[in-house]
Amino acid sequence: MRAGPVPAAPASAGPSPAGPSASGPSSRVHPSAVLSARYGQSFDIAVIVVVAGWHVAGAGSELLPFRALYRSFPAQFALWLVIALAITAGAVRLLRGWSRPAWSYALAAVALAVTIAGAAGCPAGQLLRTDWAWGTAGWVGVLVLLRRPVGELAGFLLLNGLGTFAVLAHDGLHRSDVAGFITILAETTAIQLVVAVAARQMGATAREAAEVTQSEAAARAGELIAERLRAARQARWLALQETAGPLLRELADGSADPADPEVRRACAVEAARLRRLMAESDDAPGPLVHELHACADVAGRRGVAVDIEAVGALPSVPADVRRVITDTAIAILTTAVSQVRVTLTALPEGIAVSLVADSPVPPPSAAAPGVVIEHDRDRCNLWVEARWTR
Amino acid sequence: MDQVVTAGIVEDHPVVIEGITSWISADPEHRIQVVLVAHDLMALEPVTGPVADVLILDLELNGQLVTERLPRLVAAGNRVVAFSAHSGPGLVREVLDSGAYAYVAKDEGRDYLVEAVLAAAADRPCVTRSQAKAFLGDDGPERPSLSNQERQALLLWFQGMSKASVGRRMSITENTVRQYIDRARMKYAALGRPALSKDALLARAIEDGIITPREVATYTSRASHPA
Repeated sequence: MRAGPVPAAPASAGPSPAGPSASGPSSRVHPSAVLSARYGQSFDIAVIVVVAGWHVAGAGSELLPFRALYRSFPAQFALWLVIALAITAGAVRLLRGWSRPAWSYALAAVALAVTIAGAAGCPAGQLLRTDWAWGTAGWVGVLVLLRRPVGELAGFLLLNGLGTFAVLAHDGLHRSDVAGFITILAETTAIQLVVAVAARQMGATAREAAEVTQSEAAARAGELIAERLRAARQARWLALQETAGPLLRELADGSADPADPEVRRACAVEAARLRRLMAESDDAPGPLVHELHACADVAGRRGVAVDIEAVGALPSVPADVRRVITDTAIAILTTAVSQVRVTLTALPEGIAVSLVADSPVPPPSAAAPGVVIEHDRDRCNLWVEARWTR
Repeated sequence: MDQVVTAGIVEDHPVVIEGITSWISADPEHRIQVVLVAHDLMALEPVTGPVADVLILDLELNGQLVTERLPRLVAAGNRVVAFSAHSGPGLVREVLDSGAYAYVAKDEGRDYLVEAVLAAAADRPCVTRSQAKAFLGDDGPERPSLSNQERQALLLWFQGMSKASVGRRMSITENTVRQYIDRARMKYAALGRPALSKDALLARAIEDGIITPREVATYTSRASHPA
């Protein structure tokens, strides 16, 4: 039983149950980031719809009924078109993610200019009733300053109100004008500020949700890795129980004699297995070569010359196949008298691992899917080849 | 071989020189006589003609690889057996391509150096395990196409079996094993840069019946017009 195959460790072996997310969460864009971006974009679109809708329906419904009252309707309509262009430019910039502040300020300045020009074109004394530009210019500010600090929007809305007020004062103020101005200022500015603040809040919420999702995923990946490490330790412990444990017990209770060559050989086999078990959990490139080196270490300590050669681009070999190959290698490495040559050759269809050694005993029979083990002897040399076809 | 083969040794480590001469003097038939020992290639300058029947050359002299000096040594008529601590397949192929008769890694010296020198003196190949490894690991675009039998013989030989055992496993004679391995070597000799030594190897192989003149032409045309 001691020389028999050890049950494969399911955890360190096999395909990862978590798939790519466990192997490299940082190697791709995290889904939560996509979620956050999509959420943010739908809110941007909502803002654009509100602003454009206001300009067409709100400002338009004031402009057209009073067209006869303006000093020049074509001039007012031209100003309306200027705002429409500014909204288009602002919408494109927002959706494309273009955020150079200079352009935001330029568009805001255009909106301010339209506010003043539009107010100046209103019939004297009827500004508050016929002015369409003030409100819609404020919405332009909400749109173009959406990515800027709220303070900038507040400043813009203040200037926008002052511009209108200056024209109002220029025309000659009445008390009712002041009251009407304050009412409109309070209403429009409040709504515009609320929308801008809500936009920021929603963006922050989306980011927070994305971060929470991301840290949850990281925690899950961490748990998974910990679980796999634990299972690998468990498998190593079980393997130890099955073979090394009884041997240690026999040595301890005196039923196995350290002077007995068979007991020594069994000890060497267990030592090699322990080394292999350690090597299995190392994440070394070319795990098979790495594990064979670990097995060869024990032979080296016995004074056996071990030569390991690899040729070609070696394929990655599944853990259960590696177990069978290394078990065979251990059996030969622990019985070789003075020298062992281990070769790994990449084949078009898999790999050939062979050992040539002056070992007196044939290798144990072992099996794994796709593995063919053959051996042959010429005089004192044993040749064993394990060929794995993928 | 009736006549004694003369050998020159170019090697910078005295211990290695002692090792080589001890292997040569351990030959029961005393077929090789060392006529020159040099610590570097300067001793051979100017290279006008062969210094001995066979030149055993350490590829790394005083910490420097001297592989680029090989073509000149070969062109002057030296039969070079490369002897080196390195055994990287790329280096081995490069050295053979430059016209060395054989490549013997230092850990193969005891087993093959004497055999390689004697084979070179007779313009015959000697395929060591490090050469077999270099052929098996060749995935270059201009590599010669080896037959399955040649490949299998090379593989078993590389793995460490004796040629007799290789023959037994492949159900062929030891002689046929030799022929398969030598044929693989000749396919390499027919490729790459031209060299006097390769011509001599190929001519001898044709004489020995390892390959036919037609085959040499096939390999060469494959090399000059890769598919």
